[in-house]
Amino acid sequence: MSHRDNPLRPHPATILKIVPETRDVKTFRLTLDDDEAMENWRHEPGQLAMVSVFGVGEAMFSISSAPTRRGFIELSIKCMGKVTRALHGLEAGDKVGMRGPYGNHFPYEQFKGQDLLFVGGGIGLAPLRSLVDFVFAEENRADYGRVEILYGARSYDDLCFKYDVLDGWTKQPNTHIYTTIDRAEEQWRGHVGFVPAYLEEVAPAAHNKVALICGPPIMIKFVMQALQKLDFRDEQVYSTLELRMKCGVGKCGRCNIGSKFVCLNGPVFSMAEIGQMPPEF
Amino acid sequence: MKQAVEELRRQAAGLLKEERVKCVIGWTQGTDVARAVPFFATSVRQAARLTWTPFCVNNLSKYLLNHRYDNTPLAVVVKGCDSRGINRLVQDRQFVRERVVVLGLPCGGMLDREKVLRVVDPGAALQEVEDRGSEYMLRTDKGEYGFEKREALLSKCLECEHNIPVVSDLMIGPQVPSPAGSGIDRFAGVRELETRDPAVRSTFWDRHFARCLRCYACRNVCPACNCKECSFEQAVPGWQQGACWLSKRNHPGQNYLFHLIRMFHVAGRCIDCGECARVCPVNIPLRELYRKVMKDAEELFAMKTPGTDPEEVPLLSTYRTDDPEEFS
Amino acid sequence: MSARVISRDRISGFLDCILRKYPLVAPVEEDGVVAYRRVAAAREVALDAGLSDVPPKTHFFPQTEVLFHYSNLSGLEIVEPAGAPETVLFGVRPCDLRGFAALDPVFGGRFKDVYYRDKREKTTVVGLSCTSVLPTCFCRAYGSSPVDGTGADLMFTRLGERYLVEVRTPKGARLVEDCADFFTEDGVREAAREKEVLARELDGRFVRRVDLDSVKEKVDGMFESPYWGKLAQRCLGCGICTFLCPTCHCFDIVDEDRGDRTGCRLRCWDSCMFTDFTLHTSGHNPRATKTERVRNRFLHKLKYHLDRYGLAGCVGCGRCVAKCPVNIDITRVIAEIKEVD
Repeated sequence: MSHRDNPLRPHPATILKIVPETRDVKTFRLTLDDDEAMENWRHEPGQLAMVSVFGVGEAMFSISSAPTRRGFIELSIKCMGKVTRALHGLEAGDKVGMRGPYGNHFPYEQFKGQDLLFVGGGIGLAPLRSLVDFVFAEENRADYGRVEILYGARSYDDLCFKYDVLDGWTKQPNTHIYTTIDRAEEQWRGHVGFVPAYLEEVAPAAHNKVALICGPPIMIKFVMQALQKLDFRDEQVYSTLELRMKCGVGKCGRCNIGSKFVCLNGPVFSMAEIGQMPPEF
Repeated sequence: MKQAVEELRRQAAGLLKEERVKCVIGWTQGTDVARAVPFFATSVRQAARLTWTPFCVNNLSKYLLNHRYDNTPLAVVVKGCDSRGINRLVQDRQFVRERVVVLGLPCGGMLDREKVLRVVDPGAALQEVEDRGSEYMLRTDKGEYGFEKREALLSKCLECEHNIPVVSDLMIGPQVPSPAGSGIDRFAGVRELETRDPAVRSTFWDRHFARCLRCYACRNVCPACNCKECSFEQAVPGWQQGACWLSKRNHPGQNYLFHLIRMFHVAGRCIDCGECARVCPVNIPLRELYRKVMKDAEELFAMKTPGTDPEEVPLLSTYRTDDPEEFS
Repeated sequence: MSARVISRDRISGFLDCILRKYPLVAPVEEDGVVAYRRVAAAREVALDAGLSDVPPKTHFFPQTEVLFHYSNLSGLEIVEPAGAPETVLFGVRPCDLRGFAALDPVFGGRFKDVYYRDKREKTTVVGLSCTSVLPTCFCRAYGSSPVDGTGADLMFTRLGERYLVEVRTPKGARLVEDCADFFTEDGVREAAREKEVLARELDGRFVRRVDLDSVKEKVDGMFESPYWGKLAQRCLGCGICTFLCPTCHCFDIVDEDRGDRTGCRLRCWDSCMFTDFTLHTSGHNPRATKTERVRNRFLHKLKYHLDRYGLAGCVGCGRCVAKCPVNIDITRVIAEIKEVD
């Protein structure tokens, strides 16, 4: 059996670095042990990767680093269940397995010449971050117009990528970052309130703009409603969907929404596409 | 059985019409002549579709669990064996007895559909069934067929303990004699297995368990299995990371473990309705397995068949210092 | 297509001839249950057992399959199992041949499943026509028939005391050459005529008349129908229908660790009828009740598989009809769908 062609065989990978983001989110910087495999690794913003902790299992995550940053792959992972808990117990230098990249990606080719509005909640910023950093890359920045990022979390501590959201990204030209937390805190000077309400308050103009959403299902639902009120058409809005996956390659049968497999046909869908799918996610 | 069918429909219609219940859980004719299917009548019109034939094998008490978290008033139709399930579920506090109207049917035994289909065209329409005591007469649009009970009943019916429901609010239809043969040894099958050499017994169960598909039909049909979340499905791993109590691997050893865990789990809970053995797609004689425990409980602790008496404390809920410790 | 004839009393000789060269997987009967297993001698084969209880998909897609062994001791090592040997799968019924065709695109496509493909490529499939029609059979509705050899390398049809053997592929031809002594070309034309008579006779024996006309169009618009809720009321949520289905392919992937940083990764059959099949770690479940799960199963059989691969997701074998403990009968469902408003 030739393992080079086996989609279910993970590449051995090593954790290079672990960045604690919040009390339950860590960003894992990984590299594939096989130099050639690492050299050939190409992912697109929005794509997924399957990570193994051997003896515990596999789980699918969004890749949070931009493809423009070569030599490593970053995944920002919230401690939730079996595999994520095991991952959170690992240290730099530990071995994991990696396979992918899987799924489609944000169709950034179509966004050229347009403004971008990112709306994220909590760990939902992870897949968006891949595209944000891609757009901010020197070679790409001129292709896109104004960038607005509206990001919220339950509390200050729950804000991921603070070094980007509160620092790095705010220094980018033609960019505006809006941050919010659900409830007021002593040291927080920024906005307080839920993401959808804040979005309506900020009221970005819909003209020549693409909105990209990721966050908990309930947030996505209300953000979509808010965008509709702001006159965004369904074709202007993209979201990523999350379903339980085991194989990631369209065989194990559990990530279907109607006839579509999220692992093959997703995870990125336009609102227009989501409107065509049965409401089973 | 015509009289019982008519009375059943009348009583069900009455309960629905007076809005005493929202749903009557009973049976209706299935998709071939020798099959009845669980049916949920919610209107007077639907009550007319209820039926009572010697093919009403499904134990409907399990369906009460569909409503364990709401307050829907229900009626459920039970045979004698099924009725033990009502007592058990009440004992396990799965629902409040007062919320359920139990319609009891004295039962002359269930026919083995395989045996019937050897004689009767499956596409025939069942018109009427007559219980003549020692035989059933089936009238269909393709002719009349007689079945000697001794020959054609399910084996569990020939060992029937309660052909009259042990609990009911309303008894439907006439009393009928028990289909059990006189002086029959209910545990003959278990005793026969017990006499075999341990190595032979081990091979016997190895062979059966190796076939198990782990479809969990035995668990899902079982009124003793009323846990909200089954230990075989716990998302959070137990002592071993990655696997909970046992691996999902379909392997004789793992399957053995599954069945033995289940066997001990239903000790004192299994009401011997025989549904597990009926639904098993690979013919594992599960009833004999659980009846071994039942027999031991009867012999060692003088326990009646679970569900017989609503007042009796379940086997594993009692502790007596003078309990015997023998295991056979 | 060339053909041969083999007399019935030479079949076990032929099977033993296969066994001298290849592993043989064939229907075996045990405690009244027929399933496909590796056999060691021709006498183990249940030649006249009819439709098996467990479909032969178990050969290409076993209930449990080791994907690889791992060792995370000094560096990470991943070792896949050795490839499959050249094997003969004997006695596959026409509906199950269709089942393989339905599984092929699932395990093919952009990401080819090496485990399935490897066995598929190295297996010679010997089909076996049915000689009777069960009350639950409805392969006819899908354009197949009890004697349809589509998908077989060799197709056997019993005609009294002999079998017509149709050689359908080069793989089939090789097997005939390997055991050439057992076959004759005498009487082939007559046997072929007899097969046509048998086909006509069997065609008249179907009890279930299933008409799929307009069903796909109907289910396309039925996602929100209350029908699924009614159907699901009696469902027990067990895995019988999916595990016995020749086209169901869902699986789970689990690790078994030996506790010493070594172990293996397996895949095991899983079922969309199980509560935890789509359960997210967060506790959210997109198919939280039996209604959604029953709907998913029937839409997979009648719509999704067609949408995805242009192939029916049901082959009419009738196993789910025969074995469902609560008589959820897909032929009845097909009829009822047409009546739904």
